[in-house]
Amino acid sequence: MAANSTPQKPFEGEQSLSEHNIHVSLTYDSLDATKAMNRVKSGEAGAVVLFAGCTRSTFHSKTVTHLAYSTYPPLALRTLLSIAKDVKAKHELVGISISHRLGRVDIGEESVIIAVSAPHRKAGWLAGEECLEHVKERVEIWKEEWFEDGGVWRSNRDGAVGVPVVES
Amino acid sequence: MATPKAPADHFTLLYFAAATSFTRKQHDFLPAPMPLSQLYDTVEAKYPGIKAKVLESSALTVNLEYVDAEEEGAKGGQGTVIQSGDEVAIIPPVSSG
Repeated sequence: MAANSTPQKPFEGEQSLSEHNIHVSLTYDSLDATKAMNRVKSGEAGAVVLFAGCTRSTFHSKTVTHLAYSTYPPLALRTLLSIAKDVKAKHELVGISISHRLGRVDIGEESVIIAVSAPHRKAGWLAGEECLEHVKERVEIWKEEWFEDGGVWRSNRDGAVGVPVVES
Repeated sequence: MATPKAPADHFTLLYFAAATSFTRKQHDFLPAPMPLSQLYDTVEAKYPGIKAKVLESSALTVNLEYVDAEEEGAKGGQGTVIQSGDEVAIIPPVSSG
Protein backbone atom coordinates (compact mmCIF):
# COMPACT_ATOMS: atom_id res chain seq x y z
CA MET A 1 0.00 0.00 0.00
CA ALA A 2 1.96 3.01 1.22
CA ALA A 3 5.22 3.86 -0.48
CA ASN A 4 7.06 3.29 2.78
CA SER A 5 5.69 -0.19 3.51
CA THR A 6 9.26 -1.47 3.28
CA PRO A 7 11.25 1.31 4.92
CA GLN A 8 14.89 1.68 4.06
CA LYS A 9 17.15 -0.32 6.34
CA PRO A 10 20.64 1.17 6.05
CA PHE A 11 22.29 -1.48 8.25
CA GLU A 12 21.54 -4.73 10.08
CA GLY A 13 21.47 -5.15 13.87
CA GLU A 14 23.15 -2.44 15.91
CA GLN A 15 25.48 0.52 15.41
CA SER A 16 27.04 2.20 18.43
CA LEU A 17 29.57 4.71 19.71
CA SER A 18 31.29 4.44 23.10
CA GLU A 19 33.72 6.40 25.21
CA HIS A 20 34.48 6.88 28.95
CA ASN A 21 31.34 5.27 30.48
CA ILE A 22 29.18 6.60 27.65
CA HIS A 23 27.35 4.28 25.28
CA VAL A 24 24.91 5.27 22.53
CA SER A 25 23.34 2.95 19.98
CA LEU A 26 20.78 2.54 17.23
CA THR A 27 19.35 -0.92 16.66
CA TYR A 28 16.78 -2.85 14.63
CA ASP A 29 16.68 -5.47 17.43
CA SER A 30 14.59 -5.42 20.61
CA LEU A 31 15.98 -3.15 23.32
CA ASP A 32 17.31 -4.78 26.48
CA ALA A 33 16.77 -2.78 29.70
CA THR A 34 18.97 -5.06 31.81
CA LYS A 35 21.84 -4.67 29.39
CA ALA A 36 21.46 -0.87 29.44
CA MET A 37 21.45 -0.86 33.24
CA ASN A 38 24.49 -3.12 33.45
CA ARG A 39 26.41 -0.78 31.16
CA VAL A 40 26.13 2.08 33.66
CA LYS A 41 26.29 0.22 37.00
CA SER A 42 29.33 0.93 39.14
CA GLY A 43 30.52 0.79 42.74
CA GLU A 44 30.66 4.58 42.67
CA ALA A 45 27.01 4.94 41.72
CA GLY A 46 24.36 4.75 44.44
CA ALA A 47 21.59 5.38 41.93
CA VAL A 48 20.67 4.03 38.54
CA VAL A 49 17.71 5.64 36.76
CA LEU A 50 16.22 3.74 33.83
CA PHE A 51 13.72 5.24 31.38
CA ALA A 52 11.86 3.16 28.80
CA GLY A 53 9.80 4.90 26.15
CA CYS A 54 7.15 2.51 24.82
CA THR A 55 4.85 2.68 21.81
CA ARG A 56 1.25 3.64 22.65
CA SER A 57 -1.84 1.95 21.19
CA THR A 58 -3.80 5.13 20.47
CA PHE A 59 -3.22 8.61 19.14
CA HIS A 60 -6.10 11.11 19.44
CA SER A 61 -8.41 8.11 19.94
CA LYS A 62 -7.33 6.44 16.68
CA THR A 63 -5.99 2.90 17.05
CA VAL A 64 -2.30 2.55 16.24
CA THR A 65 -1.12 -0.87 15.03
CA HIS A 66 2.61 -0.19 15.16
CA LEU A 67 5.25 2.49 14.72
CA ALA A 68 8.22 2.64 12.38
CA TYR A 69 11.39 4.65 12.90
CA SER A 70 13.92 5.74 10.30
CA THR A 71 17.19 7.62 10.78
CA TYR A 72 20.34 9.11 9.29
CA PRO A 73 22.66 6.74 11.16
CA PRO A 74 26.02 8.59 11.31
CA LEU A 75 24.42 11.93 12.19
CA ALA A 76 22.00 10.46 14.75
CA LEU A 77 24.86 8.62 16.51
CA ARG A 78 26.94 11.79 16.56
CA THR A 79 24.04 13.78 18.06
CA LEU A 80 23.31 11.04 20.63
CA LEU A 81 26.96 11.06 21.72
CA SER A 82 27.00 14.83 22.04
CA ILE A 83 23.83 14.77 24.19
CA ALA A 84 25.21 11.96 26.37
CA LYS A 85 28.49 13.82 26.93
CA ASP A 86 26.73 17.08 27.84
CA VAL A 87 24.26 15.45 30.23
CA LYS A 88 26.98 13.35 31.87
CA ALA A 89 29.20 16.38 32.46
CA LYS A 90 26.40 18.67 33.66
CA HIS A 91 25.01 16.20 36.23
CA GLU A 92 28.37 14.60 37.11
CA LEU A 93 27.11 11.15 36.19
CA VAL A 94 29.13 7.98 36.54
CA GLY A 95 27.74 6.49 33.34
CA ILE A 96 25.09 6.99 30.67
CA SER A 97 23.59 4.77 27.99
CA ILE A 98 21.06 5.77 25.32
CA SER A 99 19.63 3.24 22.85
CA HIS A 100 16.99 3.95 20.21
CA ARG A 101 15.17 1.32 18.22
CA LEU A 102 14.66 1.54 14.44
CA GLY A 103 12.31 -0.05 11.94
CA ARG A 104 8.98 -1.53 12.99
CA VAL A 105 8.17 -1.39 16.70
CA ASP A 106 4.97 -3.09 17.83
CA ILE A 107 2.65 -1.64 20.47
CA GLY A 108 3.93 -1.89 24.03
CA GLU A 109 7.53 -2.44 23.01
CA GLU A 110 10.35 -0.10 23.95
CA SER A 111 11.46 2.42 21.35
CA VAL A 112 14.05 4.18 23.52
CA ILE A 113 15.93 3.20 26.67
CA ILE A 114 18.02 5.60 28.70
CA ALA A 115 20.07 4.47 31.69
CA VAL A 116 22.06 6.86 33.86
CA SER A 117 24.07 6.24 37.01
CA ALA A 118 25.06 8.82 39.59
CA PRO A 119 26.50 8.88 43.10
CA HIS A 120 23.08 10.03 44.42
CA ARG A 121 19.50 9.73 43.16
CA LYS A 122 18.65 13.42 42.63
CA ALA A 123 21.25 13.89 39.89
CA GLY A 124 20.11 10.65 38.29
CA TRP A 125 16.45 11.65 38.10
CA LEU A 126 17.25 15.08 36.70
CA ALA A 127 19.77 13.77 34.18
CA GLY A 128 17.41 11.08 32.93
CA GLU A 129 14.64 13.54 32.21
CA GLU A 130 16.89 16.13 30.63
CA CYS A 131 18.51 13.49 28.44
CA LEU A 132 15.17 12.31 27.05
CA GLU A 133 14.04 15.86 26.29
CA HIS A 134 17.25 16.52 24.35
CA VAL A 135 16.90 13.24 22.45
CA LYS A 136 13.35 14.06 21.38
CA GLU A 137 14.31 17.58 20.40
CA ARG A 138 17.52 16.88 18.49
CA VAL A 139 18.24 13.32 17.38
CA GLU A 140 17.78 12.72 13.65
CA ILE A 141 15.17 9.98 13.92
CA TRP A 142 11.70 10.06 12.36
CA LYS A 143 8.60 8.23 13.56
CA GLU A 144 5.68 6.99 11.50
CA GLU A 145 2.41 6.02 13.16
CA TRP A 146 0.53 3.24 11.38
CA PHE A 147 -3.22 3.25 12.06
CA GLU A 148 -5.79 0.45 12.02
CA ASP A 149 -7.76 2.18 9.26
CA GLY A 150 -4.75 1.95 6.94
CA GLY A 151 -3.55 5.51 7.37
CA VAL A 152 0.08 6.26 7.98
CA TRP A 153 1.06 9.51 9.63
CA ARG A 154 4.35 11.01 10.41
CA SER A 155 4.19 12.55 13.83
CA ASN A 156 5.66 15.88 14.68
CA ARG A 157 6.25 16.88 18.26
CA ASP A 158 4.62 15.19 21.22
CA GLY A 159 0.88 15.52 20.99
CA ALA A 160 0.89 17.33 17.65
CA VAL A 161 -1.05 15.80 14.79
CA GLY A 162 1.21 14.51 12.04
CA VAL A 163 1.01 14.64 8.28
CA PRO A 164 0.19 11.80 5.88
CA VAL A 165 3.25 9.90 4.70
CA VAL A 166 2.00 9.61 1.14
CA GLU A 167 1.42 12.97 -0.50
CA SER A 168 -1.66 13.22 -2.68
CA MET B 1 21.36 -0.96 2.37
CA ALA B 2 23.89 1.85 2.39
CA THR B 3 23.72 4.72 -0.09
CA PRO B 4 25.78 4.04 -3.21
CA LYS B 5 28.72 6.33 -3.93
CA ALA B 6 28.09 9.36 -6.13
CA PRO B 7 29.50 9.20 -9.67
CA ALA B 8 32.42 11.50 -10.61
CA ASP B 9 31.59 15.24 -10.52
CA HIS B 10 28.46 14.65 -8.46
CA PHE B 11 27.44 14.89 -4.82
CA THR B 12 24.85 12.89 -2.89
CA LEU B 13 21.67 14.52 -1.61
CA LEU B 14 19.94 12.38 1.04
CA TYR B 15 16.20 12.50 1.75
CA PHE B 16 14.50 11.45 4.98
CA ALA B 17 10.92 11.32 6.28
CA ALA B 18 8.85 14.10 4.64
CA ALA B 19 11.54 14.63 1.98
CA THR B 20 11.39 10.92 1.07
CA SER B 21 7.59 11.06 0.89
CA PHE B 22 7.72 14.04 -1.44
CA THR B 23 10.48 12.82 -3.79
CA ARG B 24 9.63 9.10 -3.40
CA LYS B 25 13.38 8.58 -3.25
CA GLN B 26 16.05 8.03 -0.63
CA HIS B 27 18.65 10.08 -2.48
CA ASP B 28 19.69 11.84 -5.70
CA PHE B 29 23.09 12.45 -7.26
CA LEU B 30 23.42 16.08 -8.37
CA PRO B 31 26.21 17.72 -10.40
CA ALA B 32 29.09 19.28 -8.42
CA PRO B 33 30.48 21.79 -7.73
CA MET B 34 27.30 23.65 -6.80
CA PRO B 35 27.06 26.76 -4.61
CA LEU B 36 24.97 25.90 -1.56
CA SER B 37 22.89 28.99 -2.29
CA GLN B 38 21.62 27.28 -5.48
CA LEU B 39 20.68 23.98 -3.86
CA TYR B 40 17.07 24.73 -2.91
CA ASP B 41 16.23 26.21 -6.33
CA THR B 42 17.78 23.18 -8.04
CA VAL B 43 15.75 20.79 -5.90
CA GLU B 44 12.58 22.87 -6.39
CA ALA B 45 13.05 22.71 -10.18
CA LYS B 46 13.31 18.91 -9.94
CA TYR B 47 10.40 18.51 -7.50
CA PRO B 48 8.03 21.49 -7.86
CA GLY B 49 6.42 22.42 -4.54
CA ILE B 50 9.06 20.80 -2.33
CA LYS B 51 10.42 24.14 -1.16
CA ALA B 52 7.23 25.27 0.55
CA LYS B 53 6.16 21.82 1.72
CA VAL B 54 9.46 20.39 2.94
CA LEU B 55 12.60 22.50 2.53
CA GLU B 56 11.44 25.60 4.38
CA SER B 57 10.76 23.61 7.54
CA SER B 58 13.89 21.47 7.26
CA ALA B 59 17.53 21.85 8.27
CA LEU B 60 20.49 21.03 6.06
CA THR B 61 23.78 19.20 6.66
CA VAL B 62 26.93 18.99 4.55
CA ASN B 63 29.21 16.08 5.48
CA LEU B 64 27.35 15.71 8.82
CA GLU B 65 27.71 19.39 9.79
CA TYR B 66 24.66 21.65 9.99
CA VAL B 67 24.71 24.66 7.68
CA ASP B 68 22.31 27.61 7.66
CA ALA B 69 20.58 27.53 4.28
CA GLU B 70 19.13 31.04 4.63
CA GLU B 71 22.45 32.54 5.62
CA GLU B 72 24.12 30.79 2.68
CA GLY B 73 21.46 32.11 0.32
CA ALA B 74 22.21 35.66 1.47
CA LYS B 75 25.93 35.18 0.79
CA GLY B 76 25.28 34.44 -2.89
CA GLY B 77 28.54 33.59 -4.69
CA GLN B 78 30.64 34.09 -1.52
CA GLY B 79 29.15 31.15 0.37
CA THR B 80 29.94 27.45 0.71
CA VAL B 81 30.30 25.42 -2.48
CA ILE B 82 29.21 21.78 -2.46
CA GLN B 83 32.06 19.66 -3.82
CA SER B 84 31.99 16.40 -5.72
CA GLY B 85 31.73 13.45 -3.32
CA ASP B 86 30.11 15.54 -0.56
CA GLU B 87 27.16 14.11 1.34
CA VAL B 88 24.37 16.66 1.75
CA ALA B 89 21.17 15.86 3.65
CA ILE B 90 17.78 17.48 4.12
CA ILE B 91 16.74 17.07 7.77
CA PRO B 92 12.97 17.48 8.37
CA PRO B 93 11.73 18.17 11.92
CA VAL B 94 12.68 15.16 14.04
CA SER B 95 10.29 12.89 15.97
CA SER B 96 12.15 10.26 17.97
CA GLY B 97 11.21 8.66 21.29
